[in-house]
Amino acid sequence: MTYFASVNETALAVFAVVVGITLVVTYFASKRVSTATDFWAAGRGLTGPQNGFAIAGDYMSAASFLGIAGLIFLFGFDGFLYSVGFLVAFLTVLFLLAERMRNSGKYTIADTLAYRLKRQPARAAAALGTLAVVAFYLIAQMVGAGVLIEALVGIDFWLSVLITGAFMIIYIVAGGMLATSWVQIIKAFLLMGAAVVMTIWVLAEIGWNPLDLFRDARGASPEGEAYLQPGLRFTEPLDTVSLGIGLVLGTAGLPHILMRFFTVPSAKAARSSVMWAMVLIGAFYVMTTALGFGARAILGEAGVEAAGTGGNLALPNLADELGGELFLAIIAGVAFATILAVVAGLVISASGAVAHDVWSNIVRHGRDSEREEVWVAKIAAVGIGAVAIVIAIIGGEGLNVSFMVGLAFAVAASANFPALLLALTWRRFNTTGAVAGVVVGVVSSVALVIISPTVWPGPDSEGGAFAWYPLTQPGIVSVPLAFIACWLGTMLTTEPTTERSFDELYVRSETGLGAEVATGLTLTGRRGGPRTAAAATTTTIPPM
Amino acid sequence: MGEPEHRSDIDWQAVERSPEFRELVRRKKAFIIPATLFFMAWYFGFIILAGYAPDFMGREFITDGLTVGYALALSQFVMTWVLGWMYLRRADRDFDPLAARAREAAEGMRAGAPGTRFRRDEVVTEDEEVRR
Repeated sequence: MTYFASVNETALAVFAVVVGITLVVTYFASKRVSTATDFWAAGRGLTGPQNGFAIAGDYMSAASFLGIAGLIFLFGFDGFLYSVGFLVAFLTVLFLLAERMRNSGKYTIADTLAYRLKRQPARAAAALGTLAVVAFYLIAQMVGAGVLIEALVGIDFWLSVLITGAFMIIYIVAGGMLATSWVQIIKAFLLMGAAVVMTIWVLAEIGWNPLDLFRDARGASPEGEAYLQPGLRFTEPLDTVSLGIGLVLGTAGLPHILMRFFTVPSAKAARSSVMWAMVLIGAFYVMTTALGFGARAILGEAGVEAAGTGGNLALPNLADELGGELFLAIIAGVAFATILAVVAGLVISASGAVAHDVWSNIVRHGRDSEREEVWVAKIAAVGIGAVAIVIAIIGGEGLNVSFMVGLAFAVAASANFPALLLALTWRRFNTTGAVAGVVVGVVSSVALVIISPTVWPGPDSEGGAFAWYPLTQPGIVSVPLAFIACWLGTMLTTEPTTERSFDELYVRSETGLGAEVATGLTLTGRRGGPRTAAAATTTTIPPM
Repeated sequence: MGEPEHRSDIDWQAVERSPEFRELVRRKKAFIIPATLFFMAWYFGFIILAGYAPDFMGREFITDGLTVGYALALSQFVMTWVLGWMYLRRADRDFDPLAARAREAAEGMRAGAPGTRFRRDEVVTEDEEVRR
């Protein structure tokens, strides 16, 4: 059963339309982005709803669109666990970090740490955390893009990866965060539209009763009742809990998501953008029910082989079954836009870590010009993009995409989240604690994944090489380890200055006093500048 | 380009100790801590049941096809939206005005000179006046 032979012209045409639209947006953005605040924070000029769509576009990757539908198709209820975790995670973001990051940060998550801790080690640690997360996430997305485009359009894997990487670099170098944000907004519209159309189509196909999704899916699975129960994918209960920890805390440690809060003018806009994102992302994940269980109900067991590794092609196959070649091409185009928007967000956050944290503040001690900083950021984006392209092509289709994304979440939950949360809330916290937390978080989560049964000896073997550690998800061990490292490092050393500077970060993050102001940049022009910013932040003290 | 700007003209320690700021933090904590504990408990309760009680999660709920597990999963979506909406409402009504007052208090302390508290056309509210 081959759905995809040679080059699919219809899909190619849809891809061209998607890319064309994003390039027009990038062209508009390129004429306006000049300062570092424009480049990394889109001039802090996005509205709450705009940033909400951008967060949704930044967050929902191919792992959400194709991956979750595929996992539900293969494993039933266990696949839906991802949907739940990915959404609930935004409460962690909303309650603990969104507004505080907006009030205390400038361009990167390192800003918040460096504000009260010793700058150089704090920045180095935060840059390490950011780059570790981005490395796993980015390569996963690039490999996913290559596999997807090869399967759906018929372009070779290496060329597909190269094309994806090239567009990602163009968006960032030409249009910075402004272009990236609008690519993400457009993608969110496309993704939501595609999900709504497919959900309605699936419901029409099964006779409009949503309960028949479950009944038909159960009937179409050899597992029967077990298909609607947990346990088909996660056989180790502790592993399920560990996954939950990684998902619900990991989102609050993803640098490309936290960076989005620097693009709005005020804390109020930051929290309203989370609410918009939660509505969009939640609605999408509810619809994954129809996509995943629907794929099982309609394609049945016969579709398993065509769905490929991890079931990633279950959704495209469903589209083909429902609407034929044109609908398949549209879904493929949406999936391509989905990946482009996510990789662009990842690379711009990595460029911040390299240019703003490492180059500007560690190497140059903050003495470089704004012009130089933006130039270094663009060079960094090209470099990071090139490295990702090369690794993805060499690592090739052998890399397991959902495993890499899971690892990225675990690293984010272990390395970034504990240090950020404690810096914002714990007076005693100090530099040693932060560095210890980030390093232990990165090392323990990566090491635990390496010794997990899926990696060593390999995914198909019975039991792991290390019998005492049967888990595939590191969160339940690595997150507590990182918190303990933060605590131990802090308690074993004293730094009186960081306790004093806590007052400044604390007041600033809770009230917005002295927070960075907007430049009034928009895609089509520039609003009144600082005046708009003052009105939006309701800051009663005029900028100095 | 350097770090986010530090403002040496503000006595941050004094602002942190001001009653306005303490009130803001107290009110925020009174919402955020219980809300966070609640959603973590509800979510991890669900995850733990999914891990350790697959049979219970697979039981029929109300009608054939709908399982207890799926119903609980849907309740997570509802919980997320409702808690998010509650937080936004509280932040707009309570936290933002309190944060504005804490900033005004900081403004008052900054210059120390009388009159600077009244910037542009802003007037210190009556109860604030009493407390001073």
